[in-house]
Amino acid sequence: MTSSRFRIRRVAVLGAGVMGAQIAAHCANANVPVILFDLAAKEGDPDAIVKRAIAGLKKLEPAPLATADRAAHIEVANYDRDAARLADCDLVIEAIAERMDWKHGLYAKVAPHLRADAIFATNTSGLSINALADGCPEAMRSRFCGVHFFNPPRYMALVELIPARGTDAALLDRLEDFLTTTLGKNVVRALDTPNFVANRIGVFSMLAAMHHTTRLGLGFDEVDALTGPAIGRPKSATYRTADVVGLDTLLHVVKTMTDNLQGDPWHRHYVAPAWLAALVERGALGQKTKAGVYRKDGKAIKVLDLALQDYRDAAGAVAEEVQTILAERDPAMKLAALRASEHPQAQFLWSIFRDVFHYVAVHLGDIAHNARDIDFAMRWGFGWSAGPFETWQGAGWQQVAGWLREDIAAGRAMSDAPLPAWVFERHGVHEAAGSWSAVAAKLEPRSVSPRQLFPERVLAEVPRATHTVWEGEEVRLWTLDDADGERVPVLSFKSRMSCVGPKVLDGIREAIARAERDFDGLVIWQPQGPFSVGANLKQIRPVLEAGDFVTLERVINDFQQASMAIKYAQVPVITAVQNMALGGGCEFVMHSPRAVVALESYIGLVEAGVGLIPAGGGCKEFAIRAARAAEASATKDPMNFLQSVFQTIAMANVSKSARHAQELGLLKQEDVVVMHANELLHVARRNAVAMADSAWRPPLPAVDIPVAGRSGIATLDMMLANMREGGMISAHDYRVAHASATALCGGDIETGARVNEQWLLEVERALFVDLLKTKETQARIAHMMDTGKPLRN
Amino acid sequence: MKQIQDAYIVAAKRTAVAKKGGAFRHVRPDDMLAHTLRGVVDAVPAFDLNDIGDVVVGCAMPEAEQGMNVARIGLLLAGFPVSVPGVTVNRFCASGLNAVADAAMKIMTGQCDIAIGAGTESMTVMPTMMGNKVTVNPRAFESPENVAIAYGMGLTAEKVAHKYAVSREDQDAFALASHQKALAAIAAGRFAGEILPYTVRSHLPDLASNTVRIVERVFDTDEGPRADSSAEGLARLRPAFAARGSVTAGNSSQMSDGAAAVLLMSEAAVQRTGATPIARFRSFAVAGVPPEIMGIGPVEAIPRALKQAGMAQADIDWIELNEAFAAQALAVMRTLDLDPARVNPLGGAIALGHPLGATGAIRTATVIAAMQRGEARTGMVTMCIGTGMGAAGIFEKV
Repeated sequence: MTSSRFRIRRVAVLGAGVMGAQIAAHCANANVPVILFDLAAKEGDPDAIVKRAIAGLKKLEPAPLATADRAAHIEVANYDRDAARLADCDLVIEAIAERMDWKHGLYAKVAPHLRADAIFATNTSGLSINALADGCPEAMRSRFCGVHFFNPPRYMALVELIPARGTDAALLDRLEDFLTTTLGKNVVRALDTPNFVANRIGVFSMLAAMHHTTRLGLGFDEVDALTGPAIGRPKSATYRTADVVGLDTLLHVVKTMTDNLQGDPWHRHYVAPAWLAALVERGALGQKTKAGVYRKDGKAIKVLDLALQDYRDAAGAVAEEVQTILAERDPAMKLAALRASEHPQAQFLWSIFRDVFHYVAVHLGDIAHNARDIDFAMRWGFGWSAGPFETWQGAGWQQVAGWLREDIAAGRAMSDAPLPAWVFERHGVHEAAGSWSAVAAKLEPRSVSPRQLFPERVLAEVPRATHTVWEGEEVRLWTLDDADGERVPVLSFKSRMSCVGPKVLDGIREAIARAERDFDGLVIWQPQGPFSVGANLKQIRPVLEAGDFVTLERVINDFQQASMAIKYAQVPVITAVQNMALGGGCEFVMHSPRAVVALESYIGLVEAGVGLIPAGGGCKEFAIRAARAAEASATKDPMNFLQSVFQTIAMANVSKSARHAQELGLLKQEDVVVMHANELLHVARRNAVAMADSAWRPPLPAVDIPVAGRSGIATLDMMLANMREGGMISAHDYRVAHASATALCGGDIETGARVNEQWLLEVERALFVDLLKTKETQARIAHMMDTGKPLRN
Repeated sequence: MKQIQDAYIVAAKRTAVAKKGGAFRHVRPDDMLAHTLRGVVDAVPAFDLNDIGDVVVGCAMPEAEQGMNVARIGLLLAGFPVSVPGVTVNRFCASGLNAVADAAMKIMTGQCDIAIGAGTESMTVMPTMMGNKVTVNPRAFESPENVAIAYGMGLTAEKVAHKYAVSREDQDAFALASHQKALAAIAAGRFAGEILPYTVRSHLPDLASNTVRIVERVFDTDEGPRADSSAEGLARLRPAFAARGSVTAGNSSQMSDGAAAVLLMSEAAVQRTGATPIARFRSFAVAGVPPEIMGIGPVEAIPRALKQAGMAQADIDWIELNEAFAAQALAVMRTLDLDPARVNPLGGAIALGHPLGATGAIRTATVIAAMQRGEARTGMVTMCIGTGMGAAGIFEKV
C-alpha cells in the first residue's frame, strides 16, 4: 500500500565505527528507532563489535547521546543473523570503512533484504557517489544517494546530500526534510566531486595555511592564534582541528585530492607537508594518540616546533600590530590593511584569505550549485562565522577581485589559474534575490522549509518582516504577518544574552497583559543567542554595593511575580528555548505551561555559583512538583524527588540536552523537544494556537501543598554535613546549599505541613535576601562579573 | 538474672557472601535467611523443631524486603512449625552477633533450651546505604555533639585515620593482605565447612522467544576477594569521603548480601537430641564511643567481653575483627595491641564483604568452623557499630 505521507519508521545504520555509531545515537536522540549493524564477531558474542561501539558512545566527549539511557534504544544487529530485519527499515545509512570494494561487497549482500521503497544512503566523505551507485543493483539506484555527516554528527550542523546520476529527485526532497526536521541538521546539496563541498574547501584552506606557515616561518601555535576566533573561526583553529580530526584521517583526505583531482590548478599543493607525514609515520596521530601537532605534558600544552625538531611550550599569540588591524570594523579596511602590512602574521592572513577566495571563485562552477551553498557549508561544517564568499563580498567585491588579480599576476598566489570572467562582471555573489550559480550563470533564489520562519541567512539575504506591537526599553513584542501571527505575538528580550533585569521583568508583565487583551497566546523567543542567562547582575551589583536591600527584595519579588504571571496568564505563554536557559531564565521555562525546547539546550539553576538560590519561583516549583510526585506514589514521600533536584540545585548542574533537562526535572515531560533550533518559533506558535483552540485554561492556584519540612531539611543537610566535614565544600557552600534545602522543603516547619504557593515564594525570597547580605555571596557575584568564572569561597 | 546453664553451639552455617548486585541480586533476604535456618537444623540429628524457643535474627535495615519481622517470615519460609517464634534485632553492624548472643542468653537464663541466632542482609535491595527512606532528626544539627549522627561511616573512618594516625599506605597494605588471605583460604577450601551452597533459581525473560527462562546456579564461594587487587591499584584510588582523605573504596568493606544461622542448645537439649556441641558461648559485651569515631568501638567492647569471660586477651586464639574500614581495624589492633597473626586469618570484610546485620552471625560461623578444624581453641567476633558502639562475643571450643 503506498502512503501519501513519507514516514521513516526505522533507520538501519550499517557499520558501527565512529561515525556509524554516532549517527545511530543521534537517531535515538530524535526518537527514531534505529538498528546498528556490523559484522558478526568471529569468536565469542557475535554482537561484540556493535555492543562495544554502543558502550563507547557513553564515554565519548562531547556526548553523542542526549541522555545515557538512549543507548538502550539502539538495537544491536549483525549481518549474518539479522539481515532480514533490514526489511523493517525505511532508511538505511551505510557508514563502513572508506573502501569501494568493501562497500560494493556489502551492497550486494544487503540488497536482497531491502524494502522496495527504502532509501539507501552512504555516509562516505571521500568516495564517488556515482561510482558507489554503480555497485548497487539496478533496481536500487534511484533510491541511492550520499549523506555526508560531519563529526561529531550530533553537534555539527552540516549534512551534505549528494545525489547519484539516477537518484529520484522527490526522494532527495523527502530525505532532506527528514534530515532537517527530524534529525535537526542543515542540508547542503552537493555535487559528486571529490570531498564534496565543505571538506574540499576546508582541507584546501588547511593546506593553504600549512603552506604559508612554512613560507613565512610561523609557529603552529602562532597560526592557531591567528586562525581561530580572531578571524571568526572555532578556537581549535587550524592545527588543533587537525589533531582533533586525526592526522592520519587528514592525510587520507589529502590523498583523495591527490588521486582524484589531477589537472586541478592547485594539484601540486594537494600533498601533505613532510612534517605531517613524519608525525603519522611515528604514530603521533593527534588527540586520539595524545600527541600530534600538540602534546599535553601534565597540565602544560606543548607544540611541535619544526626548527627545534621537538615540542616546546605553546605560547603563540597575535602580534599587537596585527591585533590592531583585526580590530578594524570595516571589513574592506581590514583586508586592505592586512594586505598592506609587512608583518608576517598579516601577510599570512591576507595570503590564506586570498588563496581561498581564489580557490572558491575558480571552483564554484564545478563543486557547488551556488555560492550560498559554499558559504553555508563552511559555516555549518567548519564553524566559520562567515563563508569565504561572504567575507570577500563584505570587504568589497571588485576591490578584492582586483587585489587577487594583481597577486595572481605577480605569482604570489598558490596557483596562476585566472579568475573566471564572471568575477569581474559582478558586484558580489549574494543578493536579496539569490546567490550566484556559476554553472547556471544566474542567481539562484533561496528555498527553505516553511517551518523555519527565520532561517539562517547568508550575506545580503533579507529577513522576514516583523511588526512591532509594543516595545519597552529591554523587550519587544512583535508579530509576523501571517495567520498564527494574528493570534500569537512573540516577546523577545533586547538585553545582552537576554539577561533579566527590572525592565525585562516589567516587559514580561506588560506583554502578558497585552496578549491577554488582544491575542490568544504568547511565545517568548529570542531571535539569536540564548533564551536567557538569568538575572542581570550588572544592574543588580550597584544596588547591592549600595546595600539597598529593600530595592533588591522588591526586584526579587518582581522576578517571582513575572514567573507567576507566566504560569497563570489567561493565555498560554510558551517559552521557546535554545542554547542556554540559566537561573531566572530556567525559572521562566519552569513556569510556562509548555516549553518548546531545542535539543541542544543547556538548562540549569546555577544560582549556587554566585552564592544564591533560585528565588524566581524555582525552589517553589520544585517543592510543588515534589508534593505532587509524592501524592502519586505509594509511600507519599516527597524526598525521593527532592533528593535529586536538591543535588541539581546545590551543584548548579546544567543539563546536557533538552532531554537531559527532562530527566533532571527542569523540564516537564510534556514539554516539546524540537530537533532543529530554527523550527522552534514555528512549533511554539503552533502549540500556542493548539492550546488556545483546545480551550486551555491556566492551572488552579497551587494550594494545600504538603512540604518535606524540618525532617526534609535535616535529611538534605546530612549530605552537606558530610561534605563540609570531609573538606569537600566550604562553610559558605554549606550555607547556600542549606538555604536551597530549606526553600525546597518549604521552610523550617513540620514535615507534612500544608502550605500555599505564596508561602513558598516568601520562604525562598527571604533566604535569597539573607544570602545577598553575606560578604561571601557578594564576593562571588563581584568575581563572576569581573572574571566570568565562579569563585570558590 | 542468674545464669543457670551454659549455651552450646551445635551448628553454625552461612551462605557464601555475594557482592551487592551480584549472585544474590535476585534472591530475597528472607529466602537467604530461611536457607540458613534450614541448614543449621539439618546439620544436627533430627529433633522436634517445636522445641526451638526462639529465632533471633539480626538485620541492620529491617525494612522493605527484610522488614515485617524478617525472623518470623524466614522461619515460616524455612518450614519451621508455626509454634516457633521469631524476633528481629537491630544493632546495625553487630546485629548478627547480637542475635547469637540473645539466643545464647535465652538458654543461659533458662527461658528455653534450644534457640537460633541468625543474621540476614541484602544490600542489593536497599536503594541507599541508609535504607529505603533516609531521614534525619533535625535536632542532630541543633547541637554540635549530635551532628555526628548525620555522619556517613566513611567520614568517621577518616576521623579515626586522622586521630590514630593510620596512614594511607598502611590502610592499603592491610586491604591487600585481606584479599590475599581470603583468596588463599578459598583456594585451600577453608570456608567449605561453614558455607551452605545456595541454588539460585532466576526466572528471566527471554525476549527473543517470549518465554520465561529459568537459570539455576549454585553459589558457594564468596564473591568479594579480588585476585587483581594490587598495591598499585589500591594506591591509585581516590579518597571517597574527604577531599584530602585516605579512605578509599579499596580500603573499605564491600557492600554485600548474605545470611547465617547459629543453632544453640543447653546441655540437656544436647543430650536429648544427640547433637554434638562444638563451642560454648562465653560472653558478649557492647559499649558506646563517640559517634564521629565509631570505628574505634571494639576498643571498649573487647575488654568488657574478656572481663565477663574471665579471660585475658592472650587467651584468644582467633579474632574475627570486622573490617568496616582498614583505618578503624588498624586503629583498634594498634590500640589494644592485638596480635595481627590472630586477626582475620582468612581475610575480612574488605575482601569477603560486609552484609551489615548478617556479618556477626557469618563470622561466628567462621570462628566455629576454625574450631572444628582444630585451628582455634578460643575465638572472638568483634566489630564497630554506626553511631558509635562496639561489640564483642567470645566462644570457647568444647
